[in-house]
Amino acid sequence: MTAPVLTPAVSPAQSEPPQPPRSARPAGRRIRSLSPRLRVQRTILTVTIVLIVIVQVYPLVWLFLTSFRTASDFAGGNAFALPSEWTLDNYARAFATGNLWLNIVNSLIVTLGASVLIVVAGMMAAYALEVLGFRFSGLVKALFLLGIIVPVQIALVPLFIDYSQIGLLDTHMSMIIPLAAFALPMSIYLFSSFYEYIPREMYEAASIDGAGPYRIFGQITFPLSANTIITVVLVNSIFIWNDFIFANTFVLSDGLKTIPLGLQNYIGAMGNTDWTATFAAVCVTVTPLLLVFLVLNKAMINGLESGATKG
Amino acid sequence: MFTTKRRRAFLAAAATAAAAALVLTGCAGGASSADPTDVDPEGEIVPREISWLLSRPADGGVITAMEQIADEYAEEHPGFALNLVTTPDRPSYIQKYETLAAANKLPELFDTDATPFAQKLAGQGRMVDVDLLLDDLGLADEYREAALNYQRFDDGSLYMVPFEFQLEFFWYNKALLADAGVEVPATLDDFPAMCEALRAKGITPIALDGQDQWPLERYMAYYPFRMAGPEYVQQLKNGDASFADPAGKAAAEWLYELGQAGCFQEGFSSTGYADAQALFTSGKAAVYNIGTWELSNLATDALDPAVRDDVDYFTLPTIDGAVTNDNEYVTPSGIGMAVNAQTYDPLVRDFLAFALERYPEVYAATGALSPTTNVETTIPDNATELYTRAVEQANDVGPKIAMPWDTQLDPATNTRLQQELTLLVQGDITPDEFIETMDAALAENVNG
Amino acid sequence: MADTVTTAGVGAAEPRSPRRARPMSTSMLPRRSKLSVLVFLVPPLLLYGVAVLLPILQSLFLSVFRWDGITDMVFVGFDNYVKMLTRDDVFWTAFGNALGYLAICLVLQLGGALIVASLLTALPRARELVKTVYLLPAIISTVAIAILFQRIYSLEPVGLLNQILAWVGLENLQNAWLSDVNTVLAAVSIPEGWRFTGLYMLIIYAALIAVPKELEEAARLDGASWWQVFWRIRFPYIRPVWITTTIMATTFALRGFDIPYLLTNGGPGQASELLTTYMYKTAFVHTDYGYASAISVFIVVECLVAVGIIFLLLRRRDDS
Repeated sequence: MTAPVLTPAVSPAQSEPPQPPRSARPAGRRIRSLSPRLRVQRTILTVTIVLIVIVQVYPLVWLFLTSFRTASDFAGGNAFALPSEWTLDNYARAFATGNLWLNIVNSLIVTLGASVLIVVAGMMAAYALEVLGFRFSGLVKALFLLGIIVPVQIALVPLFIDYSQIGLLDTHMSMIIPLAAFALPMSIYLFSSFYEYIPREMYEAASIDGAGPYRIFGQITFPLSANTIITVVLVNSIFIWNDFIFANTFVLSDGLKTIPLGLQNYIGAMGNTDWTATFAAVCVTVTPLLLVFLVLNKAMINGLESGATKG
Repeated sequence: MFTTKRRRAFLAAAATAAAAALVLTGCAGGASSADPTDVDPEGEIVPREISWLLSRPADGGVITAMEQIADEYAEEHPGFALNLVTTPDRPSYIQKYETLAAANKLPELFDTDATPFAQKLAGQGRMVDVDLLLDDLGLADEYREAALNYQRFDDGSLYMVPFEFQLEFFWYNKALLADAGVEVPATLDDFPAMCEALRAKGITPIALDGQDQWPLERYMAYYPFRMAGPEYVQQLKNGDASFADPAGKAAAEWLYELGQAGCFQEGFSSTGYADAQALFTSGKAAVYNIGTWELSNLATDALDPAVRDDVDYFTLPTIDGAVTNDNEYVTPSGIGMAVNAQTYDPLVRDFLAFALERYPEVYAATGALSPTTNVETTIPDNATELYTRAVEQANDVGPKIAMPWDTQLDPATNTRLQQELTLLVQGDITPDEFIETMDAALAENVNG
Repeated sequence: MADTVTTAGVGAAEPRSPRRARPMSTSMLPRRSKLSVLVFLVPPLLLYGVAVLLPILQSLFLSVFRWDGITDMVFVGFDNYVKMLTRDDVFWTAFGNALGYLAICLVLQLGGALIVASLLTALPRARELVKTVYLLPAIISTVAIAILFQRIYSLEPVGLLNQILAWVGLENLQNAWLSDVNTVLAAVSIPEGWRFTGLYMLIIYAALIAVPKELEEAARLDGASWWQVFWRIRFPYIRPVWITTTIMATTFALRGFDIPYLLTNGGPGQASELLTTYMYKTAFVHTDYGYASAISVFIVVECLVAVGIIFLLLRRRDDS
């Protein structure tokens, strides 16, 4: 009932002129000479930002440093000091205790699988809703958008029961399906808001050339979606890579455990935890995503920025 | 908004989905064709892979021993494999096992405590009767009585096999107690005074792992166990007793006093297992309540030399007019292993016959206490004198067991109890409020 | 099925903006078959229906039963809802906490994001670096974050936060943050706020830099203060993005689960219990699937209402 209300969320943007291309950002601010007052302001600004960044990042630095501490250094140690003695034992124990590589592979499979589904299904639905259109498209879109606000927890009990009936429990698919389905509304929302901006004239021109809906999708809509695809994939990858709740509910065997579950392995009997080894494991498991993130950082930020301003 | 036609279509769809749900969920409430008393089924032994869903430390004694035994068995029976799926974190494990049970997907072997949930499973004939099984295998007399009793339901039936035997002690630091001029508490009522004396010296009296809930819940069980015996909690969970009864009231007041006397370290409710233990082993805390599964950390040269010679233990103190003996306290045989009746076949039986026979010897060699009496625990080379003493103490345990309440109460009441206990000890609520809340929760959950 | 449907828009030859044409015509394409709509629509609808819609219906259904998963289901009518609304004090505590959690997350994520994004637009260099670094926490698993923050808040042994307090001479403020019923809700909300500030900051930053510079320059020449420029020019310009991010942040916060669950499991007492953790416990610890389903139905309703409210609030201001 409330979901249709969502759609006008974009309407204020509609009355505005299209965003100028990013390259048109006025340059030259740096060239102007700065007055002393401005210079002081700049310094304060820079210091503030540096402080904020430190607050934001220090916990991660600390995590990294701790993974090289000895257990006793950690237990009694000073959080700001460098490790009194650097050790790689934590990493050795991390690999010995858990099955980190397997966890990483599982997380990759789930993330890739769900991402493909999210993108393909999201584009198809948005294309049907925005471009092809049909009588009740508003209703169907509202139904999809409803999913943005449905908490994932509601699916746990029913899906568990359904999976056990059809033998899907404890498979990669059991994680991929709900992860993709719950990300789908946001994906449809992003693709739809983007498709609204593709001018109707482009489609009409293609139609005159004799292209049907499939060819238009393949030749116009899909290629134009590249930026949005990147946004959808990268944002969702973060959530999927780190999903705990579905994995914890549907995965039973060690062979299928993803990274978050793998990390739970380090909690021993009765809650005993080998902290330094756990921190080492965290560092190892963060690495793949971190690398992808650093490599695609630019694309992701651009995608997010353009996706967001269009949305 | 809806046209009549569309509304009808929607309702039809909803009804279909609901019916589907009914079918799906209805199936799960399992009707079983297996006979839980048929412990020696006929047929040929066909080796295959069987699974054991368990909640024990991944590199711990039980798993190491069972892996070795499974390998030995597989040599004789090519094609056999034992797939051990462990979830050491107990709350996660319980969630997993209970949902698997709901989905009717439990493997051949699975761990469970003697909880009300497990009793329901047994009542549906989904678990093999272990009394009959052990008799049939000729092993029943080998087990410690206390180890089997720990696994029994209230009606005396037995559906789980114990794999451990543990004694829970109060470990203490002699030097710190001497420092504060206090003796080992003779009764539970001596605890507050001991704590205050230690606090006055700047020593943390008792190290407590509050994050995992069960350690504090043990303290709740102590006073009623001494005052009213093990029956109190059994009556409590059936609604035949209440927290307002003398035993419950005494327990609440005692815990409140402990909190007021500053017995536990500040912020205990967010202190984890390892941190609590570190408080004790680093000589900052004077007392630490933990079981013999920690012998290898507390009674060997793994213990910090600075405190090694000062560490000793005492067992659960008594109270004036106690109805249980000094040698009766918390002596669990660990989470038990249940045998799924629906997948029980000649192979499972044959493997269990082999494994349970072989297990005590392999397990005792790791320095742990076997649930049976037919083997001697190997004392490790690096053990301190305490190790031997603790192992011998196992032979002097009385018949009554202080059951951990978390395995006794229904889960909803148990959750509430754990939450309210923390508040009680932190002084956020009074004993009277505690009793009122708990009795209301009990009434809702037992009858509801 | 392959018949071609021509929409009303085709006849009119004059080009229209897609937006204005929308109420009249359903399709942007002059020709499309019903089949093609089905081909594109059915697979996503199937995925969504199976994993999202069906479970909601199943939950509605389960919520009028009492069921522990293994014994027979018992029909109890609306008793689960009655219990939830009248007899269960934990439910109301959890509801209150969920609102507190939401408030803290929103302040951190949106307020923090807006401030940092605004500062960033004035930063002369290294913006890309700051953006990258700021997003880092978002890629770390909540399990790892919970582990990390447990150490940060810890008092015994002294954790990062308490060490910082000691370091700046505020020893008397040291606290066991996760054990104190007064601080624990904030303590479990902050990590959730912290990890996604970067994401929202990026979105808002992108909207801010799209604000035409000429408008701001003109206002400044007219003597507008920094605040006036921000409030009169920038904020109205980014309002659509602001609404989107508010809805995203709200719904994410209302279904927040991992960090409170892993960090305190709702404790001490029920001081950090959220509706989601309570529902999860009810289902998977208490095996009370019927009651848990009733709670999850409530969570869905709560999210719908929250989004409705946001909308009303932000829309009305927009109209005035």
